[in-house]
Amino acid sequence: MFDLEEAIKHWRKILNKNDALEDGYKEELENHLRDKIDYLVSLGSSQREAFEEAVRKIGEAQSIGSEYFKTDTRHISGRPPWKKSRWLPPLFSNYLKIGLRKIKRQKIYALINIAGLAVGLACCAVIILYVTNELSYDTFHNDADRIYRVAVHRIGIVGEHWFVATPAPLGPELSRSYPQVEQAVRVVPPYENASHVLVVRGEKRLFETRVWFADEDIFELFRMPFIQGNPRTALTNPNTVVITEGMANKYFGEESSLGQTLQIEIDYDTGVVELQDYEVTGIIKNAPANTHLKYDIFLSMETMRSNLADFEENWLNPKPKYTYVKLAPDTDVANFEEQIQRISQTVLQRYSEKYNRKMDLYELFLQPVTKIHMFSRYMREIDPPGNWYYLYIYSIIAFLILLIGCMNFINLSAALSTTRTKEVGMRKVVGAQRRQLVWQFLGESFLITFLAFILASGLASLLLVPFNQMAGTDLTLSGLAQPIVLLSVLGLLLIVSIGSGIYPALILTAFNPISVLQGKLAPTSRGSGAQKILVVGQFAISIFLVICALTVFKQLNFMKGRALGFDLKQKLVLRVKSNMPHLRRDYEAIKNDFLQNPSITGATVSSSVPGDRTDSGYYLSPRIGDFKGTPFIKVITMDYDFISEYEIKMVAGRSFQRGAGNDERESYLINLAAVKELGFSSPDEALGKNFQASYHRINKRIIGITADFHYRGMQEVVEPLVMDIENSLFEAITLSIRVENMNNLMRFIQSTWDEHFPGVPFEYSFLDENFDREYRYEDRMGKLLGIITTLGFFIACLGLFGLASFVARSRIKEIGIRKVLGASTSNIVSMLSKKFVLLILISVIIASPIAWYSMNKWLQDFAYRIDMGLYMFFVAAAGALVIALTTVSIQGIRAAVVNPANSLRNE
Amino acid sequence: MAASTKPLILTILDRGEMYGYQIIHNVIQLSGGTLEWSEGMLYPVLHRMEKENFIRSQWKVSSNGRRRKYYRLTELGKKELEKERNHWMKVHNVLSKLWSLSPSFD
Repeated sequence: MFDLEEAIKHWRKILNKNDALEDGYKEELENHLRDKIDYLVSLGSSQREAFEEAVRKIGEAQSIGSEYFKTDTRHISGRPPWKKSRWLPPLFSNYLKIGLRKIKRQKIYALINIAGLAVGLACCAVIILYVTNELSYDTFHNDADRIYRVAVHRIGIVGEHWFVATPAPLGPELSRSYPQVEQAVRVVPPYENASHVLVVRGEKRLFETRVWFADEDIFELFRMPFIQGNPRTALTNPNTVVITEGMANKYFGEESSLGQTLQIEIDYDTGVVELQDYEVTGIIKNAPANTHLKYDIFLSMETMRSNLADFEENWLNPKPKYTYVKLAPDTDVANFEEQIQRISQTVLQRYSEKYNRKMDLYELFLQPVTKIHMFSRYMREIDPPGNWYYLYIYSIIAFLILLIGCMNFINLSAALSTTRTKEVGMRKVVGAQRRQLVWQFLGESFLITFLAFILASGLASLLLVPFNQMAGTDLTLSGLAQPIVLLSVLGLLLIVSIGSGIYPALILTAFNPISVLQGKLAPTSRGSGAQKILVVGQFAISIFLVICALTVFKQLNFMKGRALGFDLKQKLVLRVKSNMPHLRRDYEAIKNDFLQNPSITGATVSSSVPGDRTDSGYYLSPRIGDFKGTPFIKVITMDYDFISEYEIKMVAGRSFQRGAGNDERESYLINLAAVKELGFSSPDEALGKNFQASYHRINKRIIGITADFHYRGMQEVVEPLVMDIENSLFEAITLSIRVENMNNLMRFIQSTWDEHFPGVPFEYSFLDENFDREYRYEDRMGKLLGIITTLGFFIACLGLFGLASFVARSRIKEIGIRKVLGASTSNIVSMLSKKFVLLILISVIIASPIAWYSMNKWLQDFAYRIDMGLYMFFVAAAGALVIALTTVSIQGIRAAVVNPANSLRNE
Repeated sequence: MAASTKPLILTILDRGEMYGYQIIHNVIQLSGGTLEWSEGMLYPVLHRMEKENFIRSQWKVSSNGRRRKYYRLTELGKKELEKERNHWMKVHNVLSKLWSLSPSFD
């Protein structure tokens, strides 16, 4: 009897043999067959006839399949899936499948690997960004390699100096007389108030700092793209100004700012300071982070000329002016430098005419603009220069942490290799060559690295936020899009995946298939030596980092907290930047007004406050009117209350006192360092001696000696200092406050400020914050080291955790037998941990001397430094031991509490 | 497959949604049995046309419980049908002229 279902089933089997026919296609065909049979039966055929007819009509499975295949295969390759690919290694898809399967099966290990690598890669990515940013300063200008800044080397009576500032007429002279000079552009900061230029528009009154006068063709020399306005004519007229987008938003908001008016106050040092109107003639893009010349506002040089008649002729004006030149292509720079010494001669001549004495040397030289940030270390530099030292340190740290991540990977893969011996054995038996297997495992390590890389890019964007805060930079991940950065990151990816994959790959593929498949496992003993070295390496690096971090923290605390020699707690500093005469005349009245509030316990007025990098000083001479060869001594001028408010200790004599004579006219205080500098052997000897100061030419007597307080921070030795009551230099008000109701207090201080300095923006700072800024490099390094150390330890522990768990697992039967024979849990935990304790101790021994050496070197830079106590090494070692033991014990306990009945059941 | 398959399928689907067997059945009916296909070959063609976005398919369960894949024309398919129609009408005109004139070529 004909069974239709049976026949259809048989027919379907024929379809199943064809690879090109997928399930849906087959179902469709089968339904067609059934419809056809139904139709034929309805016409009167028997089931058998109908089936045979329908099958005949549908046609050969083979030809339908190949027709489907043609449709489903892309025409580019035309390669059926069972044929060898042209560019992918054979078995590629199998490798990928196995690789992903391994990750899925061993989630924890894969996670440890990926997390460790990702953290390392993320740190590296951030550091690469930082380094490339530091090295990319000013390279974005057109023909940047032909742009130079002119600087001066001079030797005169005040000594030998290198300046990056030049006389005003130098620029025009260069472009007039030297054909090599394609362009010369000057950039000049406001003479007296560069750090606080008052800008006013309507209600808005703010201080700006990045304000420059610039020659009109500055926009041709530097790349400063215009958003609105004409770069050629923007700065040709007096009282015109080009501002950045940021400034435009700040002062004009949504309104269009082009053609509008801004009021700007410039102090030309002529005695008259007033707000002047400026027309906005151009809007440019904001200054990029990687330029040494940071700008917000450019005023036309014509403005300068109209306010200072002799500006273009004055070769000897000491105010800083910067001259940039673009040289013609193929100019011989050394030769050109020699030629411009002709100008130096002019300057020397004018100098001796004016001052009636000779300068020994005045030499102009050129600095390539792209080298300014990293290499220029001269006086009057515009932007704080880059720091090679920290560039190196950051790079080394990033490298170390990546190394820890890689070591993890190597270690875990090597350990896990024992689980793959059978796979390798089978592959070898069916004909795999060692080379193919190495490729397979390298591919797997690339896969892991790649996954880590994806995770790392996420991590890096998180890391950038604190890093930018610490390093004071403005880095974004988009910086990775530059070809150089991209290449180095890709290179890193390759190096890491090969570096961490090659060792496990070699171990794995070295197995002898016969012994492996017979169940003889040689590899554990073979791999373990290298694994021990790796664990030691990881912990050595971690311990090294811990010791470094501890040292940096300790040094920082030492610098911040210890004997600064004065009190910096709860001190609020107000800087007076405008309406100075009022402060200098009426300071006692102003102080009294502040003191009305009971939360303000003291007030004092001075020329600068501790932590300021002030360079002002007096030449002090024991003879009247003769300052030849007299020492230059830094000065802080102050009122009667300064010494007591800052709790500065007196060593000899007395402090300034109201009513104890006329201290304002007659008295100096000096510090201990100045005693020596002025040539006295003891403080008592200096007391009562008279000196004349170059600044006010008044003869005053030394009435007291203060202790050496660190008025400029802790990095440097305390320099000689003279103090007197000279109100013409007062600039800062210090208020000692009790912090009870901060809001009310600040409101009171501001309203008092507004009474005395109407129209002057209210700005304040806390002295200890000021002082902290002094330590920003050290602070950054300390924080960075803290983060890195934690991360490093974290990765190393992950690795240890993985390794310990692996060891415990591979000895699970041994542990079972030991338990059966009566071993306690603690016996087993200590058995498993002993080996690791030894490894940690070895790493301590390796890391300590290296850390000791490099940290001592770092400490050399500080005038006052800590000793690296032994205890630091103990802390690091003990910390490492505790953390490692905890990690290992967790695994040990887990292994030890397993019921031996379970672990031994299978044998 | 013959060049005529595509316009045939497009034209038939223009009448409405159909599954594979219905399409074949329609072709056979319309041609009075004179056009004969290897019926299985229809499906790869439908598959290709779907890839080219001329038609869309959807699985539906019919009244007798059989799962069927229904095909219908897309906008692109309608345009394609228009193109094919023009093309074939042109060929038809030329050929019919040629054939009616053929005696004078002797």
